[in-house]
Amino acid sequence: MKSLLIAVKDAKIHLKDRKAILMMILMPILLTVILGSALKGVMGGGSMPKTVLGVYSPESNAMTEVIIRALGEDGLAIIVERAESEKQLLDWMEEREVHVGLLLPDEWDPDTERAIILRTTGQETAATLIRQMIETFGQMSQAIANSTTTVMAEAAALSSDGSTVDMEAIQQELTTAIEKVMNEQRTYVSEPAHEESVSSMQYYAAAMAAMFLLFNAMAGGKSFHQEKRSETLSRLMMTPTSVRSILTGKLIGAFLFAWIQFLIFMGATHFLLKVDWGPSILQTLFITFFYIFSVAGLAMVVAAFTTNEKMADIVGTMGVQVMALLGGSMLPLTLFPEVIRKIAKLTPNSWALTSYTSIMTGTSWSALWLPAGVLLGIGVISIFISSIRLGRRIA
Amino acid sequence: MLTLSDVKKSFGAHEVIKGISFQVEKGESFGLLGPNGAGKSTLISMICGLIPNGEGEIRVNGKLVSKHRKETQQMIGVVPQDIALYPTMSALDNLMFWGKMYGLSGKKAKDRAKEVLEIVGLTERGKDRVETFSGGMKRRINIGAALMHEPQLLIMDEPTVGIDPQSRSHILETVKSLNEQGLTVIYTSHYMEEVEFLCKRIAIIDEGKLLISGTKKDLNNRLAGGIVLKLTVGSLHPSFIEQVKKLNGVEKVIVQQAEEIDVHLQSKMESVADVILLASQSGVVIHNMHLKEANLETLFLQLTGRSLRE
Ligand SMILES: Nc1ncnc2c1ncn2[C@@H]1O[C@H](COP(=O)(O)OP(=O)(O)OP(=O)(O)O)[C@@H](O)[C@H]1O
Ligand SMILES: [Mg+2]
Repeated sequence: MKSLLIAVKDAKIHLKDRKAILMMILMPILLTVILGSALKGVMGGGSMPKTVLGVYSPESNAMTEVIIRALGEDGLAIIVERAESEKQLLDWMEEREVHVGLLLPDEWDPDTERAIILRTTGQETAATLIRQMIETFGQMSQAIANSTTTVMAEAAALSSDGSTVDMEAIQQELTTAIEKVMNEQRTYVSEPAHEESVSSMQYYAAAMAAMFLLFNAMAGGKSFHQEKRSETLSRLMMTPTSVRSILTGKLIGAFLFAWIQFLIFMGATHFLLKVDWGPSILQTLFITFFYIFSVAGLAMVVAAFTTNEKMADIVGTMGVQVMALLGGSMLPLTLFPEVIRKIAKLTPNSWALTSYTSIMTGTSWSALWLPAGVLLGIGVISIFISSIRLGRRIA
Repeated sequence: MLTLSDVKKSFGAHEVIKGISFQVEKGESFGLLGPNGAGKSTLISMICGLIPNGEGEIRVNGKLVSKHRKETQQMIGVVPQDIALYPTMSALDNLMFWGKMYGLSGKKAKDRAKEVLEIVGLTERGKDRVETFSGGMKRRINIGAALMHEPQLLIMDEPTVGIDPQSRSHILETVKSLNEQGLTVIYTSHYMEEVEFLCKRIAIIDEGKLLISGTKKDLNNRLAGGIVLKLTVGSLHPSFIEQVKKLNGVEKVIVQQAEEIDVHLQSKMESVADVILLASQSGVVIHNMHLKEANLETLFLQLTGRSLRE
């Protein structure tokens, strides 16, 4: 009962905070529009005759693996053959076993180092194409990184000082960054086969929901420190209320606000952007319930393992950034190498995102048990660990 | 109403409360006077169950705070030293929230919040956000929040710090009339005038120890000397102070600043003449002088050799 009072109070305070509303509700809608429409071309399919590409890379790092994977993507009309050595690749070229050869230098970085593209006569177009793909890949990772930094910097500024958000500037920056990529974009990167039926708008609606709900973890952690700094936590503890009720109240408060945020986002994307969330709203709400539970748990982790608002802000922003990237909220997960996709399974947002997109294309309830269970587990473990630490710290 | 017996508290190796005992009767107004860092807030935190007390016992209406935390907390209304309110919520919402935290139902909380706004004199500002209030108005709401559940014991930790004289006297008058209506009040301050105005009984604590406690009269009787001679001099020779100390009827000499000295005298007027004579003999120019009746502040000085406020 007392917990509920605290929870409602927290949610009210949050809803009164205009900056929080801009950040948590308007920003994801805006980003869905921008990313969804900008990347429509990139994610749209295209087909052409199969080209056989021979690749040799002296060492395998994350970057080379990503590009090789991307080139070999099912939807593309390219067959990738990996050579054991430079000589083998040249031999293949000689014998015309491959149409185009790609030599990736040591420690290849698409921004600075050029890859060498060898072409067989008559295959100029294919070679140009692959060159463009590699260049675009570099630019795209750059643009996405830039826009992320912009949004994050804005988010950090928002929560730390009193300045107002310049939504126009953010939109401008994001659009130019993405337009730059688009202008030089003549690639044929197509959607991964199994997500073919999800439009870019749908994908980014799901991705932004997953990402921006994560911000509640940061906000919840900060609200705890705020309460401590402003002495209201001490005052709460002098009322006949147990520490456990207070912590539960803060947890439910974070939970409540996240729900409001999600429902507004889902409503806005559905009605304004005509995003189709799939045949089963119930399934979406089901997964959201478990996802928000895990995020509320993470909020307590942020509260327990940081010492003040600033630290919660920094740790939270970094955490959201890394998780958003790993969890596929920036770039589709299928573009990442196997290892990273495995690591991504540790992030709650990747589970939420893949569940949302599969619900959009229609899925069975039984397929949702695993993600729901994982999210529940993340929440329970987070709450368990952090309540031990918090209980000890405020008592 | 409240009994402390030999209460001690340490933070790590630092002993902050070194065995304090006192008792506050129902309906009393009790003043807790002490300089910065004396341990006043720590004592209050223990009485209110915010931090566990070390050794000793604290009882509220006979109930041990350590055993019956919630019950004793329900009887107490506490005004924290810092403003503990939600700045973006309205005054009314703040009051209602704190009332509900003490178990008031929704309707009751609303009615009571309006009464409390009346008591603290902020009825017209009830719907405004607390962050738009002046320091004094915030302080008044901070007090109001402690009155919501009609506690039997009101504990106030320096409720007038940093506010304008008008708000201050309003607060003092309010507390005085609440006490006259039967509310037991514990008032903490390092302003002795406030404590003298409000409280029947006073305890002075310093460095975690109770120096003295009793009624105002008891304390006045303990004063070592009746008069303080305050001198502002041109230049000061250390030897002059030594000589003054040796004069007949001089209790204590305290150098406030380079050119300001307080000479505590037993109430004989001759000693004043002696000091002035000595000054002219040793070539010390007196720019200004006046006499003051001894009060609680002087008592504190006499007990510790330090002034109550730095
Ligand atoms: N949580 C804590 N950890 C360590 N030391 C503490 C803690 N709380 C208080 N102290 C120390 O206890 C002593 C008494 O502090 P307290 O706040 O009770 O003084 P006070 O009489 O209320 O002073 P003021 O008039 O400045 O409010 C101080 O030396 C302070 O540094
Ligand atoms: Mg204090």
